[in-house]
Amino acid sequence: MSQFQVTVSSLALLCLLLLSPAATAHKASDSFLYLDQDRSELRMDIALRDLARALPLDTNNDQALTGAELRAGRAEITRWMEDGVVLSNGSGECRLNGRTWGLSTHSDGPYAAAAYGVQCPDGNTPDTLNYQLLFKQDPLHRGLLSVTGGGGETLAVFSPDQTSLTLTDPPSALALFGTFVYEGIFHLLIGLDHLLFLLVLMLPATLRRKETDPQQSLKQRIWQLTGIVTAFTVAHSITLALAAMNLVRLPIAWVETVIALSIALAALNVAWPVLGRKTWKLAFAFGLVHGFGFASVLGDLTSGVQQTALALAGFNIGVELGQIALLLLVFPVLYFWGRARHYGRAVVPAMLAATGALSLYWVVERAAAI
Amino acid sequence: MIRTTSRRLMTCSFNKSVGRPRIVRASAPNFPAPRGGFFRLGMAGGFCLLFGTALAGPTPIDTQFEDQQILVTLPEPALATTALPADPGRLADLIQAQIQQARSTGDPRFFGYAEGFLQQWNGAMTDRLRVLQATIDQSNHRFERARDQLEDIIETSDSRRQSLQALLILANIDLVQGRYAAAAEHCDQLARRLPGLIAASCQAQVLARTGQPETAYRALQQQLEHDPRAGQVERLWAEGTLGDIAAQLGDPVAETHWQTVLQADPDDLYTRAQLADWYLSRQAPEQTLTLTDGYDQVDSLAVLRAIALDTTGSPDASRLAGALQERFAEAQWRGNLLHKREFARFQLDITGDKALALQTARANWTDQREPIDTRLLLRAAMAAGDTGQIKTLAAWLEQNRQQDARYPEIRP
Repeated sequence: MSQFQVTVSSLALLCLLLLSPAATAHKASDSFLYLDQDRSELRMDIALRDLARALPLDTNNDQALTGAELRAGRAEITRWMEDGVVLSNGSGECRLNGRTWGLSTHSDGPYAAAAYGVQCPDGNTPDTLNYQLLFKQDPLHRGLLSVTGGGGETLAVFSPDQTSLTLTDPPSALALFGTFVYEGIFHLLIGLDHLLFLLVLMLPATLRRKETDPQQSLKQRIWQLTGIVTAFTVAHSITLALAAMNLVRLPIAWVETVIALSIALAALNVAWPVLGRKTWKLAFAFGLVHGFGFASVLGDLTSGVQQTALALAGFNIGVELGQIALLLLVFPVLYFWGRARHYGRAVVPAMLAATGALSLYWVVERAAAI
Repeated sequence: MIRTTSRRLMTCSFNKSVGRPRIVRASAPNFPAPRGGFFRLGMAGGFCLLFGTALAGPTPIDTQFEDQQILVTLPEPALATTALPADPGRLADLIQAQIQQARSTGDPRFFGYAEGFLQQWNGAMTDRLRVLQATIDQSNHRFERARDQLEDIIETSDSRRQSLQALLILANIDLVQGRYAAAAEHCDQLARRLPGLIAASCQAQVLARTGQPETAYRALQQQLEHDPRAGQVERLWAEGTLGDIAAQLGDPVAETHWQTVLQADPDDLYTRAQLADWYLSRQAPEQTLTLTDGYDQVDSLAVLRAIALDTTGSPDASRLAGALQERFAEAQWRGNLLHKREFARFQLDITGDKALALQTARANWTDQREPIDTRLLLRAAMAAGDTGQIKTLAAWLEQNRQQDARYPEIRP
């Protein structure tokens, strides 16, 4: 009999524990801290539910917190908050001067909100923030910190393992721009198919066609090529922007296949100009496709509007700078190589064949993935 | 002066890219990386920035609230208490009640309270407390820690009850994570030590997900009909399992099984979500709406409701979607997103951000591989045109001989 009892009572527990394998949620406990370094201001939002658990605010114990009860607890609440949150820098702890106090709202309900002026002993901004609230009683609690200043913003999170954070300045607009210029150049250099496409665009200008072209100087040809490459970048930028703003998205497998195909076509077009000799128009058309391909990755990363525009601008300028630099390095070599008799007869056809074969291989490989 | 940047604006414009907050913190994010060289990016530090500042703008501080106004309703003091009980039995009772509260209301704060007590507890860790600790770990997706703890309890515990308990939770984790061989092993152990509908349900789930759903369904159905000793709890457990297997078979009787469970236990949020999703897939959004009414606070149900509202063209659709957008934005800021399943579903079916949906569904699938997670990843991969991912999924399904009427695209 006792065996049976044990079984029955254990089953009650079993089911309790297993009802929902993946528990869903309202929201775990978070508080919100907004530090504005430009204005030397700190705002703290703490959920009323969390406050009421930490402090005896519900004085009549009716499980409802009223406006009057919250007001009555104000002194205690602010003392508690100020004990748990300390800003400092090399000169010592900074003073918090209360400015506004009241209610605010986050996704899970009402919060007590307090705004403070921050005053450090040496008059500079604080460089460290220490946050200790609520962790002991709720290890799943987190302090969500936003630091603004110098035109940028960084986010961080306080947890039981990380109760102190160093406040570095958020990246400036210029730094953001610079980073993306760098990424643009980097992108260009690691993309073999991008480099091959550039080469194919360059090749016609390295050939001397005395019968059709007037003899052009190296400088003239470089200018002409710069225009073609820029047309490619402009087109690339347009679709990249459209995709990054989430206005247009195409399936990446298709885009990748078309990109590979476009390189093969461009190579073919050098030998047999099936698409015509207006190279800049070709570059522009192909650029539109290539922009979509790249956006499948970049579009994920940039979604705020203003900074996205800046980031995209930086990125595209980086790509363009990289292309021009390569043009200036590679084209003269090919140009002077072009004086050699074997260049037009062997080198160019070999390059075209290799490029065409490789890109056709990519077409097959990528189309198989569709 | 208080900054009053546009949180409200953000929630109103959820379906545009304007103000969609994206938090990319200091590690290189995992992107759907196409093969080939052209678009492979060096994820250097520069990308790890925050784009868009809409998230950070708090609502203005309201100083004019009324004294009489009830600002918030507080949970039952017995559950929200901060007083640490003096003996392990009472502590375990309290923690168990908090876990139950978290499960039945979907409020994870109670998991935090329970964990706080366990950390403050200086006395001996009884087997019961260790099982509860593992349960909290499991709920917070710390699966490895839970697994180690449970295996240790099964090996060392003198308490038949706690060791059975541990065995069942372990089998459940294995099942959720798609480790079917280990799950089968643990379910069989359970069947030997505690024969009955719970163990039979455990075995039926494994069988159903490894190629024999019809057999599993029939066997469990028969056992349910011919087990007079089984209590209500066990019967409901079997009903829920039958519902899951029927859904896998595409059999409309799933609805009946799940409704039986819900009538007896309306707080079973897991079954409620399963059924609400079933209605969605059967083009019955009105029934999804009925089932999710009053559950806006529960992410899984709120997301399904938002999709149903959207499908029916309800004017409430944008309000709920906006609220969810804010909730997920805060959760992303918090990091270590727990509700990846819900977030991915939201991105896939509401905001239409296919890339983010795929990324999150993939991350979710490394943790949880229930049919609902597999289907979500499959849909996200198809929406994003990621054939590599689809192949990976197909291979995994084939390896387990798993078939499901909810993903007919893949037949092993």
